[in-house]
Amino acid sequence: MTADSLDPVIHAPARLRIVATLAALPEGASLSFTRLQDVLELTPGNLITHLRKLEDAGYLKSETTGNGRASRTSIALTRHGRAALETYTDALRDLLGGL
Amino acid sequence: MEGPHDIDQTTRADDGDGLDPREAAWLLAQTEREAQRQFNLSPLWITAVMGAVILVAYGALWLSTRGQHPYKGPNLGVVGLVYAAVAVAIAASVKVYRRATRGVSGPPVRQQQLEGVAILVSFVLGSPVLQGAIKHYGASDAIVYGVIPAAAPLIIVGTTVLGIAASKADWRQFGAALAVVIAGVVAAFVGPSGAWLAAGIGLFIAMVGYAAADSLRHRRLSLQA
Repeated sequence: MTADSLDPVIHAPARLRIVATLAALPEGASLSFTRLQDVLELTPGNLITHLRKLEDAGYLKSETTGNGRASRTSIALTRHGRAALETYTDALRDLLGGL
Repeated sequence: MEGPHDIDQTTRADDGDGLDPREAAWLLAQTEREAQRQFNLSPLWITAVMGAVILVAYGALWLSTRGQHPYKGPNLGVVGLVYAAVAVAIAASVKVYRRATRGVSGPPVRQQQLEGVAILVSFVLGSPVLQGAIKHYGASDAIVYGVIPAAAPLIIVGTTVLGIAASKADWRQFGAALAVVIAGVVAAFVGPSGAWLAAGIGLFIAMVGYAAADSLRHRRLSLQA
Protein backbone atom coordinates (compact mmCIF):
# COMPACT_ATOMS: atom_id res chain seq x y z
CA MET A 1 0.00 0.00 0.00
CA THR A 2 1.30 3.51 -0.83
CA ALA A 3 0.41 7.07 0.19
CA ASP A 4 -1.56 7.31 -3.08
CA SER A 5 -4.15 4.98 -1.56
CA LEU A 6 -5.07 7.67 0.98
CA ASP A 7 -8.24 9.64 0.17
CA PRO A 8 -6.86 12.85 -1.47
CA VAL A 9 -9.85 14.88 -0.27
CA ILE A 10 -8.93 14.21 3.37
CA HIS A 11 -5.17 13.84 2.93
CA ALA A 12 -4.37 17.55 3.20
CA PRO A 13 -3.43 19.16 6.54
CA ALA A 14 -6.31 21.64 6.84
CA ARG A 15 -8.99 19.25 5.57
CA LEU A 16 -7.72 16.44 7.80
CA ARG A 17 -8.00 18.77 10.80
CA ILE A 18 -11.49 19.93 9.77
CA VAL A 19 -12.82 16.40 9.38
CA ALA A 20 -11.15 15.14 12.59
CA THR A 21 -12.55 18.08 14.56
CA LEU A 22 -16.10 17.59 13.27
CA ALA A 23 -15.83 13.82 13.91
CA ALA A 24 -15.22 14.54 17.61
CA LEU A 25 -18.81 15.80 17.89
CA PRO A 26 -21.68 13.34 18.39
CA GLU A 27 -23.19 12.06 15.14
CA GLY A 28 -25.78 14.55 13.86
CA ALA A 29 -24.32 17.57 15.70
CA SER A 30 -23.30 20.72 13.82
CA LEU A 31 -20.59 23.25 14.61
CA SER A 32 -20.80 26.96 13.86
CA PHE A 33 -18.37 28.35 11.30
CA THR A 34 -16.93 30.77 13.86
CA ARG A 35 -16.26 28.08 16.49
CA LEU A 36 -14.66 25.82 13.89
CA GLN A 37 -12.49 28.73 12.80
CA ASP A 38 -11.49 29.41 16.43
CA VAL A 39 -10.62 25.77 17.10
CA LEU A 40 -8.55 25.35 13.94
CA GLU A 41 -7.08 28.86 13.91
CA LEU A 42 -7.65 29.24 10.17
CA THR A 43 -8.62 32.43 8.36
CA PRO A 44 -12.20 32.58 7.02
CA GLY A 45 -11.03 32.46 3.39
CA ASN A 46 -8.82 29.44 4.01
CA LEU A 47 -11.56 27.62 5.89
CA ILE A 48 -14.19 28.33 3.23
CA THR A 49 -11.92 26.96 0.50
CA HIS A 50 -11.41 23.67 2.29
CA LEU A 51 -15.02 23.38 3.42
CA ARG A 52 -16.15 23.76 -0.17
CA LYS A 53 -13.91 20.87 -1.28
CA LEU A 54 -15.20 18.65 1.49
CA GLU A 55 -18.79 19.61 0.77
CA ASP A 56 -18.33 18.91 -2.95
CA ALA A 57 -17.13 15.42 -2.00
CA GLY A 58 -20.26 14.94 0.12
CA TYR A 59 -18.22 14.65 3.35
CA LEU A 60 -19.96 17.51 5.08
CA LYS A 61 -23.01 19.68 4.79
CA SER A 62 -23.42 23.31 5.73
CA GLU A 63 -26.54 25.23 6.57
CA THR A 64 -26.93 29.00 6.80
CA THR A 65 -29.75 30.52 8.79
CA GLY A 66 -30.72 34.20 9.10
CA ASN A 67 -29.75 37.11 6.90
CA GLY A 68 -26.96 39.68 6.78
CA ARG A 69 -24.96 40.18 9.97
CA ALA A 70 -27.30 37.89 11.89
CA SER A 71 -26.65 34.95 9.58
CA ARG A 72 -25.10 31.84 11.07
CA THR A 73 -23.49 28.98 9.22
CA SER A 74 -23.38 25.51 10.77
CA ILE A 75 -21.27 22.65 9.48
CA ALA A 76 -21.79 18.95 10.11
CA LEU A 77 -19.98 15.84 9.01
CA THR A 78 -22.21 13.55 6.93
CA ARG A 79 -22.31 9.78 7.46
CA HIS A 80 -20.37 9.50 4.24
CA GLY A 81 -17.74 11.87 5.66
CA ARG A 82 -17.50 9.97 8.95
CA ALA A 83 -17.09 6.70 7.04
CA ALA A 84 -14.46 8.31 4.80
CA LEU A 85 -12.44 9.39 7.85
CA GLU A 86 -12.63 5.86 9.27
CA THR A 87 -11.45 4.42 5.94
CA TYR A 88 -8.67 7.03 5.81
CA THR A 89 -7.58 6.21 9.38
CA ASP A 90 -7.55 2.46 8.62
CA ALA A 91 -5.55 3.04 5.45
CA LEU A 92 -3.10 5.24 7.35
CA ARG A 93 -2.69 2.59 10.04
CA ASP A 94 -2.07 -0.12 7.40
CA LEU A 95 0.40 2.10 5.65
CA LEU A 96 2.35 2.93 8.78
CA GLY A 97 2.28 -0.70 9.88
CA GLY A 98 3.84 -1.60 6.57
CA LEU A 99 6.55 1.06 6.74
CA MET B 1 -0.28 25.22 17.28
CA GLU B 2 -0.01 26.87 13.91
CA GLY B 3 -1.25 30.42 13.53
CA PRO B 4 -3.89 31.55 11.06
CA HIS B 5 -3.03 30.93 7.42
CA ASP B 6 -4.05 33.14 4.55
CA ILE B 7 -5.75 31.98 1.39
CA ASP B 8 -2.53 31.93 -0.68
CA GLN B 9 -1.02 29.41 1.70
CA THR B 10 -4.22 27.39 1.33
CA THR B 11 -3.74 27.08 -2.38
CA ARG B 12 -0.14 25.93 -1.97
CA ALA B 13 -0.90 23.42 0.75
CA ASP B 14 -4.20 22.45 -0.80
CA ASP B 15 -3.37 18.90 -1.77
CA GLY B 16 -1.62 16.36 0.36
CA ASP B 17 1.19 15.57 -2.07
CA GLY B 18 3.79 16.80 0.39
CA LEU B 19 2.12 15.29 3.44
CA ASP B 20 4.01 12.34 4.82
CA PRO B 21 1.78 9.54 6.24
CA ARG B 22 3.59 9.72 9.59
CA GLU B 23 3.00 13.46 9.69
CA ALA B 24 -0.66 12.88 8.80
CA ALA B 25 -1.02 10.34 11.64
CA TRP B 26 0.56 12.79 14.09
CA LEU B 27 -1.69 15.62 12.86
CA LEU B 28 -4.78 13.42 13.17
CA ALA B 29 -3.93 12.38 16.74
CA GLN B 30 -3.08 15.97 17.68
CA THR B 31 -6.36 17.28 16.22
CA GLU B 32 -8.41 14.59 17.97
CA ARG B 33 -6.80 15.46 21.30
CA GLU B 34 -7.46 19.17 20.79
CA ALA B 35 -11.08 18.51 19.73
CA GLN B 36 -11.65 16.32 22.79
CA ARG B 37 -10.24 19.10 24.96
CA GLN B 38 -12.49 21.68 23.28
CA PHE B 39 -15.75 19.68 23.43
CA ASN B 40 -15.17 17.73 26.64
CA LEU B 41 -18.02 18.14 29.15
CA SER B 42 -16.05 16.54 32.00
CA PRO B 43 -12.43 17.76 31.91
CA LEU B 44 -10.14 16.67 34.72
CA TRP B 45 -10.24 20.02 36.53
CA ILE B 46 -14.05 19.89 36.86
CA THR B 47 -13.77 16.34 38.20
CA ALA B 48 -11.30 17.65 40.80
CA VAL B 49 -13.68 20.52 41.74
CA MET B 50 -16.65 18.16 42.01
CA GLY B 51 -14.63 15.66 44.03
CA ALA B 52 -13.57 18.39 46.46
CA VAL B 53 -17.16 19.65 46.73
CA ILE B 54 -18.47 16.15 47.47
CA LEU B 55 -15.83 15.47 50.10
CA VAL B 56 -16.26 18.87 51.80
CA ALA B 57 -20.07 18.86 51.72
CA TYR B 58 -20.76 15.27 52.74
CA GLY B 59 -17.79 15.21 55.14
CA ALA B 60 -19.08 18.33 56.90
CA LEU B 61 -22.61 16.88 57.09
CA TRP B 62 -21.28 13.63 58.56
CA LEU B 63 -19.02 15.38 61.09
CA SER B 64 -21.76 17.75 62.25
CA THR B 65 -24.26 14.94 62.85
CA ARG B 66 -21.90 12.25 64.15
CA GLY B 67 -22.77 11.12 67.67
CA GLN B 68 -26.10 12.97 67.85
CA HIS B 69 -28.58 11.17 70.13
CA PRO B 70 -31.32 11.85 69.29
CA TYR B 71 -30.54 12.91 65.75
CA LYS B 72 -31.27 16.61 65.13
CA GLY B 73 -29.66 17.10 61.72
CA PRO B 74 -26.74 19.27 60.56
CA ASN B 75 -26.35 22.75 62.07
CA LEU B 76 -27.08 25.89 60.03
CA GLY B 77 -23.40 26.72 59.45
CA VAL B 78 -22.83 23.36 57.80
CA VAL B 79 -25.99 23.71 55.73
CA GLY B 80 -24.68 27.12 54.54
CA LEU B 81 -21.30 25.55 53.68
CA VAL B 82 -23.03 22.79 51.69
CA TYR B 83 -25.10 25.32 49.73
CA ALA B 84 -21.96 27.37 49.01
CA ALA B 85 -20.10 24.25 47.83
CA VAL B 86 -23.02 23.23 45.61
CA ALA B 87 -23.18 26.78 44.17
CA VAL B 88 -19.46 26.57 43.28
CA ALA B 89 -20.01 23.17 41.64
CA ILE B 90 -23.00 24.45 39.63
CA ALA B 91 -21.14 27.60 38.50
CA ALA B 92 -18.12 25.52 37.40
CA SER B 93 -20.34 23.03 35.56
CA VAL B 94 -22.22 25.79 33.73
CA LYS B 95 -18.91 27.37 32.68
CA VAL B 96 -17.63 24.06 31.31
CA TYR B 97 -20.93 23.27 29.57
CA ARG B 98 -21.07 26.69 27.90
CA ARG B 99 -17.48 26.46 26.73
CA ALA B 100 -17.84 22.91 25.41
CA THR B 101 -21.13 23.50 23.59
CA ARG B 102 -20.43 27.00 22.19
CA GLY B 103 -21.37 26.88 18.52
CA VAL B 104 -22.53 23.26 18.75
CA SER B 105 -26.13 22.56 17.72
CA GLY B 106 -28.37 19.82 16.38
CA PRO B 107 -30.35 16.88 17.77
CA PRO B 108 -27.59 15.50 20.08
CA VAL B 109 -27.36 18.85 21.89
CA ARG B 110 -31.15 19.03 22.32
CA GLN B 111 -31.05 15.45 23.61
CA GLN B 112 -28.38 16.42 26.19
CA GLN B 113 -30.47 19.40 27.30
CA LEU B 114 -33.56 17.20 27.77
CA GLU B 115 -31.48 14.72 29.76
CA GLY B 116 -30.31 17.62 31.93
CA VAL B 117 -33.92 18.68 32.55
CA ALA B 118 -34.90 15.11 33.51
CA ILE B 119 -31.99 14.89 35.98
CA LEU B 120 -32.76 18.34 37.43
CA VAL B 121 -36.46 17.51 37.91
CA SER B 122 -35.66 14.20 39.63
CA PHE B 123 -33.15 16.00 41.89
CA VAL B 124 -35.33 18.99 42.77
CA LEU B 125 -38.60 17.09 43.26
CA GLY B 126 -37.64 13.56 44.30
CA SER B 127 -36.16 13.88 47.75
CA PRO B 128 -38.10 16.95 49.02
CA VAL B 129 -41.44 15.34 48.09
CA LEU B 130 -40.49 12.15 49.93
CA GLN B 131 -39.27 14.14 52.95
CA GLY B 132 -42.52 16.12 53.03
CA ALA B 133 -44.64 13.01 52.76
CA ILE B 134 -42.89 11.02 55.49
CA LYS B 135 -42.78 14.10 57.74
CA HIS B 136 -46.54 14.40 57.19
CA TYR B 137 -46.99 10.79 58.33
CA GLY B 138 -44.95 11.40 61.49
CA ALA B 139 -41.54 9.91 60.72
CA SER B 140 -38.67 10.85 63.06
CA ASP B 141 -36.10 13.60 62.36
CA ALA B 142 -33.49 10.88 61.86
CA ILE B 143 -35.44 9.68 58.82
CA VAL B 144 -36.71 13.04 57.52
CA TYR B 145 -33.46 15.04 57.93
CA GLY B 146 -30.90 12.24 57.89
CA VAL B 147 -31.53 9.05 55.97
CA ILE B 148 -33.85 10.40 53.25
CA PRO B 149 -31.94 13.56 52.18
CA ALA B 150 -28.67 11.55 52.11
CA ALA B 151 -29.92 8.40 50.39
CA ALA B 152 -32.95 9.38 48.30
CA PRO B 153 -31.27 11.83 45.87
CA LEU B 154 -28.68 9.17 45.03
CA ILE B 155 -31.31 6.50 44.41
CA ILE B 156 -33.73 8.77 42.50
CA VAL B 157 -31.21 10.71 40.39
CA GLY B 158 -29.06 7.59 39.99
CA THR B 159 -31.94 5.56 38.53
CA THR B 160 -32.85 8.46 36.22
CA VAL B 161 -29.28 8.54 34.87
CA LEU B 162 -29.27 4.73 34.74
CA GLY B 163 -32.26 4.85 32.37
CA ILE B 164 -30.67 7.56 30.21
CA ALA B 165 -27.39 5.62 30.01
CA ALA B 166 -29.18 2.37 29.13
CA SER B 167 -31.14 4.08 26.34
CA LYS B 168 -27.85 5.26 24.80
CA ALA B 169 -25.96 2.04 25.57
CA ASP B 170 -23.39 4.22 27.37
CA TRP B 171 -21.91 1.59 29.68
CA ARG B 172 -19.44 3.91 31.41
CA GLN B 173 -22.27 6.20 32.46
CA PHE B 174 -24.41 3.16 33.30
CA GLY B 175 -21.70 1.80 35.60
CA ALA B 176 -21.23 5.15 37.36
CA ALA B 177 -25.00 5.58 37.82
CA LEU B 178 -25.30 2.03 39.17
CA ALA B 179 -22.53 2.79 41.69
CA VAL B 180 -24.46 5.91 42.78
CA VAL B 181 -27.68 3.90 43.23
CA ILE B 182 -25.83 1.25 45.25
CA ALA B 183 -24.29 4.00 47.43
CA GLY B 184 -27.81 5.35 48.00
CA VAL B 185 -29.11 1.92 48.98
CA VAL B 186 -26.20 1.42 51.41
CA ALA B 187 -26.74 4.93 52.83
CA ALA B 188 -30.38 4.09 53.52
CA PHE B 189 -29.35 1.36 55.98
CA VAL B 190 -26.41 2.80 57.94
CA GLY B 191 -28.20 5.27 60.16
CA PRO B 192 -28.87 9.02 59.77
CA SER B 193 -25.28 10.22 60.31
CA GLY B 194 -23.57 7.29 58.59
CA ALA B 195 -25.86 7.89 55.61
CA TRP B 196 -24.01 11.13 54.81
CA LEU B 197 -20.64 9.36 54.97
CA ALA B 198 -21.79 6.42 52.82
CA ALA B 199 -23.41 8.75 50.27
CA GLY B 200 -20.31 10.97 50.06
CA ILE B 201 -17.88 8.07 49.62
CA GLY B 202 -20.16 6.36 47.09
CA LEU B 203 -20.63 9.52 45.03
CA PHE B 204 -16.90 10.27 45.09
CA ILE B 205 -15.97 6.75 43.96
CA ALA B 206 -18.59 6.79 41.18
CA MET B 207 -17.40 10.17 39.89
CA VAL B 208 -13.68 9.35 39.99
CA GLY B 209 -14.37 5.96 38.39
CA TYR B 210 -16.34 7.58 35.57
CA ALA B 211 -13.61 10.18 34.98
CA ALA B 212 -10.94 7.45 34.91
CA ALA B 213 -12.96 5.32 32.44
CA ASP B 214 -13.57 8.36 30.22
CA SER B 215 -9.90 9.31 30.31
CA LEU B 216 -8.89 5.72 29.40
CA ARG B 217 -11.30 5.74 26.45
CA HIS B 218 -9.84 9.02 25.11
CA ARG B 219 -6.33 7.64 25.58
CA ARG B 220 -7.23 4.45 23.71
CA LEU B 221 -8.77 6.44 20.86
CA SER B 222 -5.65 8.60 20.62
CA LEU B 223 -3.38 5.55 20.54
CA GLN B 224 -5.49 3.99 17.79
CA ALA B 225 -5.01 7.04 15.57
